[in-house]
Parts: sequence; C-alpha cells; structure tokens
Amino acid sequence: MIEIYHLYKQYSKDVLALKDLNMVIDRGEFVFLVGASGAGKSTLLKLLLREISPTRGNIKIFGKDVTRLKKREVPLYRRNVGMVFQDCRLLEDRNVFENIAFALRVIGASPREIRKRVPFTLELVGLKNKVFKKPNELSGGEQQRVALARAIVNRPSLVIADEPTGNLDPETSMNIINLLQEINIRGTTVLVATHAKNIVDYYQKRVVVLEKGRLISDQERGVYFNAD
Amino acid sequence: MPIRSLFYFWKEALKSIFHHGWMSIASIAVVAITLLILGSFMVINYNVAILTEDIKEQVQIVLYIDEGAGAEEVNELQALLISHPQMEEVRYVSKEEAMERLKDQLGERAFLLDGYEEEDKNPLRDSYELRTNIPEEVAVIAEEIENYPAVGYLDYGSGVVEPLFQFTGIVRWVGLAFMSGLALTAVFLIAHTIRLTVFIRRKEIMIMKYVGATDWFIRWPFIFEGLLLGLFGALIPVAIIYYAYEIAFLWMETNVYFVNLIPTEEIMAEIMQVLIPLGVVLGVLGSSISVRRFLKV
Repeated sequence: MIEIYHLYKQYSKDVLALKDLNMVIDRGEFVFLVGASGAGKSTLLKLLLREISPTRGNIKIFGKDVTRLKKREVPLYRRNVGMVFQDCRLLEDRNVFENIAFALRVIGASPREIRKRVPFTLELVGLKNKVFKKPNELSGGEQQRVALARAIVNRPSLVIADEPTGNLDPETSMNIINLLQEINIRGTTVLVATHAKNIVDYYQKRVVVLEKGRLISDQERGVYFNAD
Repeated sequence: MPIRSLFYFWKEALKSIFHHGWMSIASIAVVAITLLILGSFMVINYNVAILTEDIKEQVQIVLYIDEGAGAEEVNELQALLISHPQMEEVRYVSKEEAMERLKDQLGERAFLLDGYEEEDKNPLRDSYELRTNIPEEVAVIAEEIENYPAVGYLDYGSGVVEPLFQFTGIVRWVGLAFMSGLALTAVFLIAHTIRLTVFIRRKEIMIMKYVGATDWFIRWPFIFEGLLLGLFGALIPVAIIYYAYEIAFLWMETNVYFVNLIPTEEIMAEIMQVLIPLGVVLGVLGSSISVRRFLKV
C-alpha cells in the first residue's frame, strides 16, 4: 500500500527534515506515527499527500510513484486518500451535512450519490441526529467526527490523520481512535500521526517512531517509544 | 464539464458577487464607465465617419470656367483635368443645368428665378465638378489646378473639410489613450475583487484541494465571477447609450434635419457587438490574473 524508499527531504542547507527513510505499510494496516515536534512527521504526511516533493527517494502508494505524479494527476490521487487534521478544518458557515456533501460535490459527485453517501457516513460516525447543526454548535469530539466523516465519505483506501486527538480530552480521544479502528476493520488503511503516549500504549498497534528525521523504531504491537 | 458542475460554478460566482457587494459594485462601475466612454466615442465616431463619407461623396471642387475663355482653352482645361492622376471624376455642368438644379433646390420658391432662365440672362456660369481620389488632399490639388487655363475660380469648401478630418483624428487618439487607461483600471479592480474572494475563501479552497478537487474545478467559479462582473459592467452602458442616443436622435431629427444620424437600432447593434465581448474579456482577464497569482492550486 505505502512503500517508502530512501526518502530525503531537505528544506534548506541546514534543515534536513527526513534522512534516508524506509518503510512499508501493507493494505489494511493501522499504524501510529510517533515523534516529537520537529521529528519529521508533518514533512512525511505532506510528502504522502504530495503537497511537497522529496529531495530524493520514492514513495509508492497504490503501486504508483507519488513523487512522479503530474500536477493534474494529484487531485485524482488525493480522492483516494482521506485526510483528518488536528483543527478539523470545517466550514463554519455550513451545517454538518453540507460540510460532508462539500467533499463529494467538489469532485463532481451526483446529487443522488450525495443523498445516499452522506447519511450513511454520518450514521457510521454517530452523528445522525446532528445533521443540521453548524460546527460551532458541536463539541470538539463531534467536530472531529464530522472531519472524519468528510475524510471517508468518498471511500478512500487510505486515511491519514494528523494529531486527530490533539485538542481533545482522553475519553473523547479514545472515541475518535475507536472510530478510526472501525474504519480500519472495514478495510481502510489508517495512518495516525500523534504524540499521545497513553493512546499509543493502549491500542497496541504498529508504531513507527521518527526522531530528527530518521526512523529509529518500527514495532508491531508497539508502545510509545521513549528515547531516554 | 458536466451540467451540474456548471450550475455549481455559476451559483458560487453569483453568491460571491452578492457577498462582496461593494467591491463588486466598484468593479462593475469601472467597467461600466470605461465602456460608456468607449461606447460614446463609438457613437460619435460612427456618425462623424458617415458624415465625412457624405462630404467625400459630394463634389469636392467646383471649377467655374472663366467667362472670357475661348472654346480651345476650355478643351485644353478638360484634357488636363481628365489626365490628372488624382482625379476620380470630372463632370461638366453647363449653366443651364446649374439653373435647373437651383430651381429644384428652391422647390416651391423657384418663382424667384423667373426671368433669369433665358440663356443670355442666366447669371450662372459653366463649371466642372471634380472629385479627387484622396479627399484629404483637396486643398493641395486645388492649388495645383488653379493655374490651368480657362479657370475662373475654384470653390472647394476649404475651412470645412480639413478641420473636420483633423477633429475626427484627434477624437480617435485621445479616446484611445483615455480608454486604455480606464480598461487597465477595470482589469486591476476586477483582479482585486477576485483576490479578495480568493482570500476570504482560502479555507474552502484548501479543503477542496485536500479532498481532490481539480485545479480547474477550483478556478472556474472565480473566472465566472469575473465574467459576470464584466458582463454586468457592459450591460449598463449599453442601456444608457440606447436611451441617450434615442433622445439625441429624435432631437436631431426635429431640430437639425439636414444631418442624418445613424438609426438607433443600427448603431446599437454595432456597439453591443463591441461592448459586451469587451466587458466579458476585461472581466475574465482580471479574474485570470488573480486566480493565477493568488490561487496556487
């Protein structure tokens, strides 16, 4: 699913964000990407989304080299990758339904498809009774669930979450990770960047640890890695 | 592109125009003013062109033959005129024919000429009516043929023709310079309006990019917004010119009846053909600049 070979990313002469990164994630895996801020997590996620290009190395996703995608191929690639952010990034002037429908509409989905997919996805994330609420009428956990619904409404094969629990209390955080786990069980590959130790330790999933741009640990059923 | 996307683009464009009311109004106003000035110049230009065309069509030089000249000299004169390279038409008008014309012109007051009609009492002279193939050069040619034999005197409407040509030339250049400046302002203002829209909607655009909307899907609403601003900006001057011209046309018809203006429908067809596409082009140009510079998708 994701194959990364000898990946380097240098921002400037002194800033080397990623150094010789090698990693393979199989279809259907659930992976925690762990590391302190500045370890290279964000850079890796940006590379995976093809927001930036690497200095060297290859990233193969769905068997295709993402680093070699043409500019006009990028949008089509992103339709197969659902993205969740720490700050949710919802449109404040639209209700829950419209926020999710928006993601389908802008890729040219038919109204029929939108009417079918949006309620189905909302039920999946447990927000069936909040359809007409605006984001500011929702709790932080509910907002993140809307963001999650938006990421999966198009049925992507891969979901990437960047600190999805960063703004949430422990219990709500668990709910979000549970939901991601459920999505994973239905066959979607899930990659979660986080530095929430308690969560990583609790779920006993594969844990990839970055430090100063290098991969320093990759464990099945791992725990939060402490360099000390 | 699918119909429903088209529908979506127009909806977004209209929403945005109403959302940024004042900026939209300013953009539309500048386009409208630019095109109003252009349209007014066109109206004047077309009419002046027709008018000068009329003058050009008319006889440009009337050469009255010296009464004392003999038949030989007159023949020589005619030969010279016909062989002149810039002469397009040489027409002999006898004084009897001139008298007939004068009677026609006077119409019911032709009785004034009673008694002058017999040949020896006719005060008019034999003449040549000349048309040159370069109307703007009438004065030069007139000077030249003044020295021909049997020439009594020349009449070529000097003092009317040249200033008229000069005037239309100046009008054309001043108008062009003025309009270029205004057109630039219009493009700039539209670009600014669209830039504001892009800025306000940056979050929406970012999300669109993450969920895989194509670059053109993101761009189209902004292009349409510019197009609509330009189109509205063009329709206003078209309406203003239509009503103003109609009033001017009717006034001229009753008060200055010897000048024939181009009919309203005819001139509006000409003007719409220019103003509406130009408004649309200005709008699309303005938004394209903004979209390219501020929407790095």
